[in-house]
Amino acid sequence: MGEIRRLVLDVLKPYEPSIVVLASQLSELPGIEAVNISIYEIDRKVENAKITLEGYDVVYEDVQRVIEENGGAVHSIDEVAAGKIIIEDAETLQDALR
Amino acid sequence: MRFLNNELQRLKEYSGIAEIGDIARRYFAMNAFDGILTMIGILMGNYAAQVEDATIVVSTGLATSIAMGISGLWGAYLTEAAERKRNLNTLEDYTLTDLSRSKVGRASRAAVIIVALIDGSAPLLASLVVLMPFLFSALLRDINLSYRLSLGMALAALSALGAFLGKLSKESVFLSSLKMIVAGLLSIALSHLLRVSR
Repeated sequence: MGEIRRLVLDVLKPYEPSIVVLASQLSELPGIEAVNISIYEIDRKVENAKITLEGYDVVYEDVQRVIEENGGAVHSIDEVAAGKIIIEDAETLQDALR
Repeated sequence: MRFLNNELQRLKEYSGIAEIGDIARRYFAMNAFDGILTMIGILMGNYAAQVEDATIVVSTGLATSIAMGISGLWGAYLTEAAERKRNLNTLEDYTLTDLSRSKVGRASRAAVIIVALIDGSAPLLASLVVLMPFLFSALLRDINLSYRLSLGMALAALSALGAFLGKLSKESVFLSSLKMIVAGLLSIALSHLLRVSR
């Protein structure tokens, strides 16, 4: 099976542990080279975070385990890139008409 | 050593998640204050009854402080456990996941135990500090000196507690200590009326 190179997740998590802790723990996973977490919505008790992970072998199960261990829940997998290199989604006519 | 370091690190992490520090500080100050004032009551009661046997003062004082310690331990455990469970349930409703095995759940359970232990030990320790002169009454010989020293210890402990709170709130340490001492002096003065009215 080919390796996952980039993973973008939509995660709902409690305020604590903070995204600083979460980012640090995710970055320690084997196969991960970079982590980016940004908060795009804050609720009364929880926050929505967009988590972007890049590396030479991102293992989704490991990522999910760390997120759940920190009290978060993966709402959706928004983007995945796999293979030897990372490619962006190709622009189509529909995109140009938007 | 490494194990201890890891445990301390984990405790620090749990403290951040469950905000243990704030609540533990509050409980500590509140219950140490209760413990000291109760001991002032015990001392003044014994003094009013003209108890001259140090073992009676120590045994009544220790029995009261043990009861206060157990009361603090049980009370804090039950209330904190209920409150923390409620908070965790609310969080679980938001995330639609079982958080009991996550760090949040573990931190919540650790918080209950730590807060209960602090709540139980604060009045116990405060009482022991106040009773100290009576524990050495054989050396002091004069029972009235033990009473005076114990009340002095109580006021000193109140002052230290006031200083701790003053430092915490970044207020004047002196003023904060004074407020505490006034409570102690008021308690002593009112209890003294018992002896006068005899």
